[in-house]
Amino acid sequence: MSEPALPVEAGGQNALGINSIERVTSKIAVIGGLLALAVAILVTTSVLMRWLFNAPIDGDFEFVKIATAIAIFAYLPYTQARRGNIVVDTFTGWLSPRGNAVLDAFWDIVYALSAVFCTYALYTGTMEAMRSGETTMQRQLLVWPGIGICAILCGVLALTAFISARNLLSSHAKGSRS
Amino acid sequence: MSGTMVALLGFAAMLLLIAARAPIGLSMLLVGAAGYSYLSSGVAFFSYMKTNSYHQFANYTLSVIPLFILMGALAERAGIAGALFKAAERAFGNRRGGLAMAVIGACTAFGAICGSSVATTATFGRAALPEMLKYRYDGGFATGTIAVGGTLGILIPPSVILVVYAITTEQNIAKLFQAALIPGLLAAAFYCITIAVVVRRNPDLAPLNEKIQVEPAQQPIWPKYLAAGIVALVAFGFFKGSLSGGLALGLVAMAALIAFIDVTVMPAILIALVVVGGIYGGIFTPTEGAAVGAITMLVVALAGGKLGLSDIKEALLQTAETSGMIFIILLGAEVFGAFLSLSRLPTTAADMIGGSGLSPYLVLIGMLAFYILLGAVMDELAMILITLPVFFPVVQALDFGMSPDDVAIWFGILVLIVVGIGLTAPPIGLNVFVISAVARSVPIAATYRGVLPFLMADILRLVLVLAIPGTALWLVRVLN
Repeated sequence: MSEPALPVEAGGQNALGINSIERVTSKIAVIGGLLALAVAILVTTSVLMRWLFNAPIDGDFEFVKIATAIAIFAYLPYTQARRGNIVVDTFTGWLSPRGNAVLDAFWDIVYALSAVFCTYALYTGTMEAMRSGETTMQRQLLVWPGIGICAILCGVLALTAFISARNLLSSHAKGSRS
Repeated sequence: MSGTMVALLGFAAMLLLIAARAPIGLSMLLVGAAGYSYLSSGVAFFSYMKTNSYHQFANYTLSVIPLFILMGALAERAGIAGALFKAAERAFGNRRGGLAMAVIGACTAFGAICGSSVATTATFGRAALPEMLKYRYDGGFATGTIAVGGTLGILIPPSVILVVYAITTEQNIAKLFQAALIPGLLAAAFYCITIAVVVRRNPDLAPLNEKIQVEPAQQPIWPKYLAAGIVALVAFGFFKGSLSGGLALGLVAMAALIAFIDVTVMPAILIALVVVGGIYGGIFTPTEGAAVGAITMLVVALAGGKLGLSDIKEALLQTAETSGMIFIILLGAEVFGAFLSLSRLPTTAADMIGGSGLSPYLVLIGMLAFYILLGAVMDELAMILITLPVFFPVVQALDFGMSPDDVAIWFGILVLIVVGIGLTAPPIGLNVFVISAVARSVPIAATYRGVLPFLMADILRLVLVLAIPGTALWLVRVLN
């Protein structure tokens, strides 16, 4: 599938309404989206300046790189909260709804642990970049704040995955919905 | 244990995890991490991840993906698809199967401003399906047509799948976009022919009882389109010295005329022109084109008064969810790919198949057949990301009598065609799932039946592009 997720209206299947984790992560995702939009405005301006006056904004791509990374990390918790990650359910159809929910919760926890690992790796990367004072080539932007923000967002992703595992287990423990 | 053995075990483990309902991106990440650590060391893997998970995403080219998705998401909400469909309906509506052809025509135009097949399918499910059912088109024929029309979202550039292919194989996105245009238009033509044949054999699928009326009927429009085309050609010839400049000017002239004729499709033409014309004309790179396209779309939609703040927020959220899902798979594929390079499986496979004396075409056909089978049951994006690290070096090692760069572009277009097939082929076709979510009254089996004749047209097109690489490569040569 070239992309994903079902159209918006198909997504709101949550019988309990939008849960709090989706509300919080959607705010972060919108901020990430606005960042992407800001980058698009910057690039468009740069293209126009180059085309009209032969005077592009120097090093605009360095802002694009940093903003893209942050925007993507801002999207990930929301994708998880919406259960937007692609799963093949062909081979587990014989399991009971509760069995599938337990399996999903298990993978949520594995995903969360992977995100914890990435957060720690990014944190270490941030510290190293801070110590070395690494900057980008053209605009001399410090590298560590970008990595740091991504580390924080990756932590939010881990938290989101843990909470969605807990939500899955608790809603199925009560046997409320399939 | 040899590297090849470890890599093969890795593939098996990954498929097992996927079958056990692990998210696809996570499966690749886990197996990639384990394999990487085994072949080098855990410490080496940690230091690889320290900055890689940031630098993998802090990638200039990657910004294309969310921005093209945002452009499509805004287009979805700005009523652009509806205007295109109405215009196409005026042109084709009153012939047998005309509404289905109108869907294909409008999807073709929409494909030039939207890089995603799911968004295109969902949009036309809302814009065109009610009209088709109102005029008593057969449900499965209608949904099948829209599911297939939706693949034009990726077949006509810009295309998210081609961007992913370009990033993974380090090819030039602009050239891939150029190469995709003629095969994409061929797809649209083949689909229209398929519709004509199908409704001729079974007229009940598309009754012609009532005259279709679309307000406001502005006729006749075809002579004016012809005039627009001639002016465009003249402009093109005038600037022959600078081919790209001439082409851009020709497109502008044509669009201005068409817009003058039918104002309702002006926004769509304007955006397509800015994005596709700008990229083909060399005014900006595809990466910049995504940004320019998203902003142009936003400005045009806001100016048309069709877009409110809540629409923009929804579009941003849809972009977030879709991009998040793509990027997790991309990250997993990056780690899995790093593991595969360590195992040297790609080079081993390329040496083995390259030195086996098998006909290059036989190998290529084998790969495409494998993709069609795999695409029927698997997610297409994950499929190409998992296989390209091995398949691409093999293809590059084969001798088709063309330069490796040409082969890379041609192979990209072939992969794009099989991905399009996988999106609609049973039992797991994402576009069919999407249209079924919109059209709850039509059983999914009926949609698959509606899709079948189009799949034959797809196979025919695949064979054509396979037999005549020029269908993809000619425009690239002309424009460069």
